[in-house]
Amino acid sequence: MSWNRIRLLIWKEFTQLRRDRSMLPILFIMPIIMLLMFGYVVGSDIKNLKLAVLDSDNSAQSQRVVDAFVSSSYFTVAARPQNEAQLKEALDGGQAAIAIDIPKGLSDAVREHRSAQIGVVVDGSDSRTSQVALQYSSGILSSLGAEFYPRPGGLSAGGVNVQTRIFYNPTLRAVNTMVPALLAFILLMSTTNIMSQAIVKEREQGTLEQLFVTPIGRTDYLLGKVLPYIGVAFVQVTVIFVVGVLWFQVPFKGSLWVIFGGLMLFMLAAIGIGMLVSLMSGSRQQAQQTSQLLQMPQMMLSGFMFPIDAFPVWLYYATYLIPLRYILVIVRSNFLKGSSFSELWPQFAAMAVFSVAIFLLGLSRFHKRLAD
Amino acid sequence: MRRIWAITRKEFIHVIRDPRLLMVILAMPLIQLFLYSYALSFDVKHLPTATLDFDRTTQSRQYLDALQQSNYFTINQRLDSYSGVDKAFESNSDKVVVVVGSGFGSNLAAGRAGNVQILVDGSDANSAQLGRGYSSALSRVYGGKVVVSQVEAKGFSTGSLASLGSNTRVWYNPEGKSAAYYVPGLIVVLVTTVLVLQTANTLVKEREMGTYEQLLVSPIRKIELMLGKIAPWALVGALQIILISTIGIVVFQIPFRGSLLLLTVSSLLYVSCALGMGLIISARASSVDSANQLAGLIAFLPTFMLSGFVFPISSMPWALQAVSYAFPGRYFMVITRTIFLKGGGLEVLWPQMLALTIFAVTIITLAASMYRERA
Amino acid sequence: MRFPWSQRAEAEAVRDDGGVAINVKGLRKTFGDFVAVNDVDLAVGRGEIFGFLGPNGSGKTTTIRMLCGTIEATGGSAKIMGYDIETEADKVRLNIGYMSQKFSLFSDLTVDENLRFYAGIYGLTDEKFIERRAYILKMADLEGREDELTKNLSVGWKQRLALGCATIHEPKLIFLDEPTSGVDPNARRQFWELLNELASQGVTLFVTTHYMDEATHCNRLAFIYRGDIIAEGTPQEIKSALSADTILQIEVADGESALAELLKHPMVDEGYMQGSLLNINLGHNSASDADIPGYLKKAGFDLLHIEPVEPTLEDAFVHLVGQQGGRA
Repeated sequence: MSWNRIRLLIWKEFTQLRRDRSMLPILFIMPIIMLLMFGYVVGSDIKNLKLAVLDSDNSAQSQRVVDAFVSSSYFTVAARPQNEAQLKEALDGGQAAIAIDIPKGLSDAVREHRSAQIGVVVDGSDSRTSQVALQYSSGILSSLGAEFYPRPGGLSAGGVNVQTRIFYNPTLRAVNTMVPALLAFILLMSTTNIMSQAIVKEREQGTLEQLFVTPIGRTDYLLGKVLPYIGVAFVQVTVIFVVGVLWFQVPFKGSLWVIFGGLMLFMLAAIGIGMLVSLMSGSRQQAQQTSQLLQMPQMMLSGFMFPIDAFPVWLYYATYLIPLRYILVIVRSNFLKGSSFSELWPQFAAMAVFSVAIFLLGLSRFHKRLAD
Repeated sequence: MRRIWAITRKEFIHVIRDPRLLMVILAMPLIQLFLYSYALSFDVKHLPTATLDFDRTTQSRQYLDALQQSNYFTINQRLDSYSGVDKAFESNSDKVVVVVGSGFGSNLAAGRAGNVQILVDGSDANSAQLGRGYSSALSRVYGGKVVVSQVEAKGFSTGSLASLGSNTRVWYNPEGKSAAYYVPGLIVVLVTTVLVLQTANTLVKEREMGTYEQLLVSPIRKIELMLGKIAPWALVGALQIILISTIGIVVFQIPFRGSLLLLTVSSLLYVSCALGMGLIISARASSVDSANQLAGLIAFLPTFMLSGFVFPISSMPWALQAVSYAFPGRYFMVITRTIFLKGGGLEVLWPQMLALTIFAVTIITLAASMYRERA
Repeated sequence: MRFPWSQRAEAEAVRDDGGVAINVKGLRKTFGDFVAVNDVDLAVGRGEIFGFLGPNGSGKTTTIRMLCGTIEATGGSAKIMGYDIETEADKVRLNIGYMSQKFSLFSDLTVDENLRFYAGIYGLTDEKFIERRAYILKMADLEGREDELTKNLSVGWKQRLALGCATIHEPKLIFLDEPTSGVDPNARRQFWELLNELASQGVTLFVTTHYMDEATHCNRLAFIYRGDIIAEGTPQEIKSALSADTILQIEVADGESALAELLKHPMVDEGYMQGSLLNINLGHNSASDADIPGYLKKAGFDLLHIEPVEPTLEDAFVHLVGQQGGRA
C-alpha cells in the first residue's frame, strides 16, 4: 500500500468527475431534490383533504358539524352537492376525497336527545388518505357528540378519560422522521450507485486491467476509488443535515459522534454492496439495473417509508437482512430522541456484523476477479 | 417501414439477450406488485407497546386486554415506574406506553371516569399518529361499554345515552384491499420508470459506442431510426400494462369497472409521453451515467412522489402542487384509478384526458425536433 | 503545474538472469474443465522482439495476463526479468510495461494528465518525468496537444500515447497485446518503427498480433493453438517446415467456389483465400502431377493466372493448424 499512489488515484478520480459536465451538478442537486421531495411530500402531514358536504338539514346543528370539520384544518370544503347523485359525481370525478352526508332531522334529534348518525363516505381508492380521513372524522364526531348531548347528572363522568402525550415530536411533523432517514439513504445511493458505475466504467474502457499491471495494489486501487466517493457522500450528508436543521427546523437532540459512527459503519456495507454490484455487472447499464434491483426492496422494506410493524410475519423477518433497517433506527433515535450508544448497541452490533460481512465478501470477490 | 423493422428487431435482440434487463422489465413489476398488494401499507398493526399499570385491578387488566386484542398493539413489557418510559422509547423497544392511573378500577366502579395516559414516541410520525388515533378510539369504545353496562345495572334506559355516531361507507374499495389502492398506480409508476430509463439509455449508449454514426451513414433516416428504437419499448410498455392489470384483476381480484377502450387510449397517450421524455433525455445527456441520473430525477422521483401514488397531492405545499401539474404521471394516475375502481368515463375524466393529450403531442414534437437537431 | 506528490524512483536494477527476459515452465491455466493454456514452455531472450501468434481464443491473452500477474496461473512457473510471477509480483510489475488492444487510457483525462498519472504510479521523480514527458510527446507526435482530452484523439495517436504511458518508467520488457488492431496501415507502419527503435535500445518486446506481415518483424515467433504451443522459432525456421512443399498461387474468376472444388482434388493438402487470390499446398506432389489448370478447366472455372510461390508465414500457420485439426 502506498499513500502516494492512493493520492494519485484520488486526484485522477476528481479530475474525471470534474470533466463530466452533467454528473457533477447532479451529485449536488440530488440531495436537495431528495430533501424537497422527502421533506415536503413524504413528510407532509395529511391535511386540507377535499370535503364534499351534503347538508339535508340546513340547521344550526348541521352548520356546527361542517364548522367542526373545517376548523380542524384537516378538511376544506370543496363541493356542496345537493343530492346523492351529485355527491357520487363529486367523488367519482375526484373533486372530493371524503363526503359527509348530514341527514334531514339532525337538529330535531339533537333537540329531543335522540341519537343521530352522520353519513361519512370516503374515497377508498386512495389508501392513506381514506384511512386518515376516517380517523379524523370519527374523532371530530365523537367530540361533537359530547357537545350535542350533555350527559344527565350522575353519569357525566363515566367512561375512560384519555390523555395523550407525544414524546420527541409533539406536533407529529413527518419531516422530522424523514430528514434523519435521508442521511443514511443518500449515503447508500451515492456509494453503491455511483461507485459501482465508476468501477464498471473503468473495466469497460480497459483501464482497470492496465492499472493492475502497474505497481498499484488492489488495496491501493480500492481506497483510491472509495475515498473520493466517501468524500462526495459526506458532502451530501452534510448538506442534508444542515438544510434539515436550519430550513426544515428538525430538532437535533443527538450526538454527532453516534450519527457519524453509525454512518461510517453503514458505509462499509454500502461500499460492499457497491463492489458486489460492480463485480456482477459487465456494463454500466447492467450495473445500473442491478443497483436498481437491489435498491427497490431496501427502500420499501427497511422502514424508510412504510412502517415495518404492520408487515406480514415472513416479510417482517426478511427486514432483518437489510442493513439500512438498523442504521435508520440509529439515525432517527439519536437525532430526535438523543438515544445514546448504550441504548442503540443492538442495532450497532447487528449492523457491524452485516457491514463487516458484506464488506469482506465484496473485498474478497473484488480481489479475486476484478480484472477478468 | 422495412428499415424501421430492422432497427426494431435489433433492439429486441438486445433485450432478449440481456437477462438482467428482462429481470428489470418483468420481475421488478411483479415483485412490486406482490409487495404492495400483500405487505405494504401505511397502516400500523402490532405496535410494540409497554404498559405501566398503577392500578392493578381487574378493570385495568380488562382495559389493557382490550387494547392487546385489537391487534393494533402488542404488549411486550410491563413497566414499574415512569423512569422506564424514556428507556423504552430511546432503545426503540416500544413505540407506545399506556399508563393506567391509580384508582382506575375504583373510579369506574363508582361511575366516574378512569384516567389513562397514552405516551407515544413521535419520532416515527406516521405510526405515532395512527397509534394515538387507535388508542383513543379503543379507549372510548371500552369506556362506552363500561358506561352502558353500568347504566343498565342502575336500571336507567340506555336511550338516555344519546350519541352522535357516524355511518361510514368506504366507496370503491370497501374491503380496504391494498392491491386495489396500489395496482392502478403501479401501472403508472412502472411504465414510467422502465420506459423513460431504457429509451434514454439505448440512444446514449449507441452514441457512446459509435454504432450510432454507423447507422447514420446507412440509408436509414433519423426519424425511422428513432421510431425503430422506441417501437420495442412501446411494446414493452403495453405488455407491462397488460401484465399488471391482468394479475391485479385475476390474482388480487381488484375490480375493473370502467371502459377498456378509455384505458387503452389513455395508456397509448401516456406511453408516448414516457417515450418522448426518454428521447429528450437522450438528446441532452452527455453520458450513460448522466442519462441514468436524469431519468431518475425527471421520471422516477416525480412519478413516485408527485403523482398522488402514495402521497396525497392536496396535502403538499402549494409550490409542489404546482410542480406536480407539469408531469403527465399525475393525470394518468387519476385516469387509471378512476377507470379501475370508480368506473368513471370520459364525462368525468375529460380534463385529465385533455391534459394527457396536450402533453403527449408537446413532448413528442419537442423530442422529435431536439432529436433532429442534436442526435 | 508542478506535480504535488513526487516520489523517489522505485524501480530497482533488473536482476540478472543470464540474458533471459521471460522464462516460462509448464505454465497452465484452466477455467473449470476448459484448458485455456496447456503446460506452456517459453524462453525469450533480452532485446528480442518475440511474436506470440495464434487465432482468437487460442490462449494468447490468458498467457499474457498470467505473465503480467493480473490473473493467477493454475500451475507451472514463470520468471520475468528474473522475478517469479507468483512470489515477486510487485517486482515484476515495476519492471514491465503493458499495452492492450483497448489502448487503456483515461478518455476523460487530457494527454498530459494521463502521462502524469502513470508517471506518479511508477514513482518517477519530477526531473525524470519532465524528461520522459518531452520524449514521449515527441515520439508520439503529440507536441502541442498536451491539453487535449484523450477521447478526442485519433486512433493512431491514442495508440502511440498508450505506448508512451506503458513505457513511461522505461521498462526493459514490454508486453503488447494486439497493439495494432483497428489501426490504419500507415499508423501501423509508424508504430512498428517505434517498436524497432525500442528494441534497438535493448528493450525486450513480447507482441501478440494476428497480422502475419507484422510477424515478419519479429526475431522469434511462437504459435499457440488451443492452449498448446505448436511451433516456435525464427520466421525462417517456421517457414522452412514447408520448404519441401509445393505452393501454388492461383488467380481465378470465382475464387470461393474454385477453392471448394480444389479441396476435393486428391493431391491438394490445404488451401485458403489470400485476398482475391487462392493459395493451395500440394505437399510433396509436384505441380505437373497435380495438373491444376486441367482440373479447374474440367470443373468449368476460368483460370487467369497460376504460379508456384515461396511459402509464407501464413502458409506455414494454415499448415500447422491443419495438422492440429487432423490430429484432434
